[in-house]
Amino acid sequence: MTPTLLALAALLAYGIPATLMLDPRARGTKLAGLAFLYGSGIVFFAMLVLSIFDVPWTLPLIATIAFLLAATFRALRAKSPLPPGEGGQRPGEGPRKFAILIHAVTALTLISYAFYATLAPLWEWDFWAIWGLKARVFFEHRGLDWRFLSSEWNTFAHTDYPQLVTFNYDFIALVGGGWNDRWLGLLNVAFAIALLFVVWSVARREASPLVAALATLACAATAGSRYVGLAEGALIAFGGAGVLMVRAAIVDDDEAAMRHGALLLGFAASCKNEGVALLVAVAIALTFVARRWLLRLWPSVIVIAPWMLLRAFHHLPTDLVEGNVVARFLTHLRDLGAIVLDLSLTLVDPLLWIALVAGVLILPHVERRRERFVLLVVAIQLAFYIASYLVTPHDVHWHISTSWTRLTRHLVVPLTVVVVLALANWLVGGEDAAHAEARSEL
Amino acid sequence: MESTRITPRRALAFACLAVIIVASVEYRLLRILFIDRTALRAAFARSADTGWYPDYPNFLRGVAAHTASGDSIAIVVPPSKWDDGYAYAYYRASYFLAGREVLPLVTPKDAVVMDNFRRARYAAFWHVKPPANARVVWQGNGGLLVTR
Repeated sequence: MTPTLLALAALLAYGIPATLMLDPRARGTKLAGLAFLYGSGIVFFAMLVLSIFDVPWTLPLIATIAFLLAATFRALRAKSPLPPGEGGQRPGEGPRKFAILIHAVTALTLISYAFYATLAPLWEWDFWAIWGLKARVFFEHRGLDWRFLSSEWNTFAHTDYPQLVTFNYDFIALVGGGWNDRWLGLLNVAFAIALLFVVWSVARREASPLVAALATLACAATAGSRYVGLAEGALIAFGGAGVLMVRAAIVDDDEAAMRHGALLLGFAASCKNEGVALLVAVAIALTFVARRWLLRLWPSVIVIAPWMLLRAFHHLPTDLVEGNVVARFLTHLRDLGAIVLDLSLTLVDPLLWIALVAGVLILPHVERRRERFVLLVVAIQLAFYIASYLVTPHDVHWHISTSWTRLTRHLVVPLTVVVVLALANWLVGGEDAAHAEARSEL
Repeated sequence: MESTRITPRRALAFACLAVIIVASVEYRLLRILFIDRTALRAAFARSADTGWYPDYPNFLRGVAAHTASGDSIAIVVPPSKWDDGYAYAYYRASYFLAGREVLPLVTPKDAVVMDNFRRARYAAFWHVKPPANARVVWQGNGGLLVTR
């Protein structure tokens, strides 16, 4: 366990200077949460750079390149004066005792999750047949193994998927001096904690400690992805934090938040193909909602571009777009009723989704309009997921049963945060209380 | 500014908020703190391999110990159909034998690929009798690692 914890501490350490170079006002939970996420992303990128130049991975090399990459973050920082940051005005303190109680439940959830994620060597089929398999192969090779990725016998391992999570496992193996899947679940726990730190910092800027604590608690179980060892935990963390940061940029006219959002979404796109779809969903939503921020997504394109080019160059197949996509789409379209029924029946946490949708509908128009960016991102991403079922080359009902519960969880965190904040702030502030600083306490 | 008096809409909003919070808490997960985790740990440890546990993973560990990185190994197991167990055996072997070239003898469409058997330097037979002329490199946990 100690090598894994050391590796996670190293990811945090790499991320701290990177976060501060990007956003000098980041402090406390925001700094810790973002630092871990950036550390994970920077180490991935450093290992990718070494792989591109066919240089075998070693810890000193990774550390050097990670440090240089962190330094480049400063170049992303605008010369313009910084907007009010963590030290700026916040909603009042309110009943702290209740907030502490809520935090205790969140902490218990995370501790429970840590026990769950480390019960045994990682057991999920998708870990040892996809994520862990590729990581182990790359670890043996000390870099991307193109023979493995290009083999027709290995397409089951989704060889086209981006490599952030696999490289993070490899970094842990390098620190530990060998492959050991016994404690790799701690990476999932670290992603969950990092995301909740970001959620708390975002929520606390707009709401009282009690409401912010409730929003954080509401995200805790989702942040701790039950699919331990898969890329879901990382995608939920990077994607959730990224969407919330872009929202903060729009709502608060905050340049630093946009920088965070763009990078985090780039790293989300480096976790899974669904992260690439999320980046596209964010771009489309920005086009409709806040076009002036659209081009500010460019760092995310820089982050994901090398892998997209590599996989195109090596002709790594993506199952959804193989063969006659149009014919599959038309065939499945005839089965749309059964597909929709299947999606409805297998929706995970239906009560939560009903409450979230009802909450959105109940909100006054002004509050709903304020959150239209996140609502639009969620709607577009859901549409992408449903479209993927319509073009799947697999049996569509098998595909739904093996993925829908995972996919819907990708979207829960940003949706939950905005609905909880909007409902709570409206309840305590009146219908025209569009700005947090004007709100009273719950 | 609208007052904060109770209206049906506000009551509904409060109810939604309450349901979101209550429905978000994973009560089954919290239970893990208060139970004896020994049995759970054992169940999870064998869940990847179910009926093949512990012999098949231990056999693959033995194969890994007696082969080198870059070696090619064909996998021979009792199931001859992809979805009847061959897929598991092949994927699992790919994980334990990372660094080697693991070759299947059955395709996802249940076609037999004898070329892979001929091409492989080694063949890992588990609960299947190898050809009489095969040279046994190592045996254990219900299987044999053979070469020509």
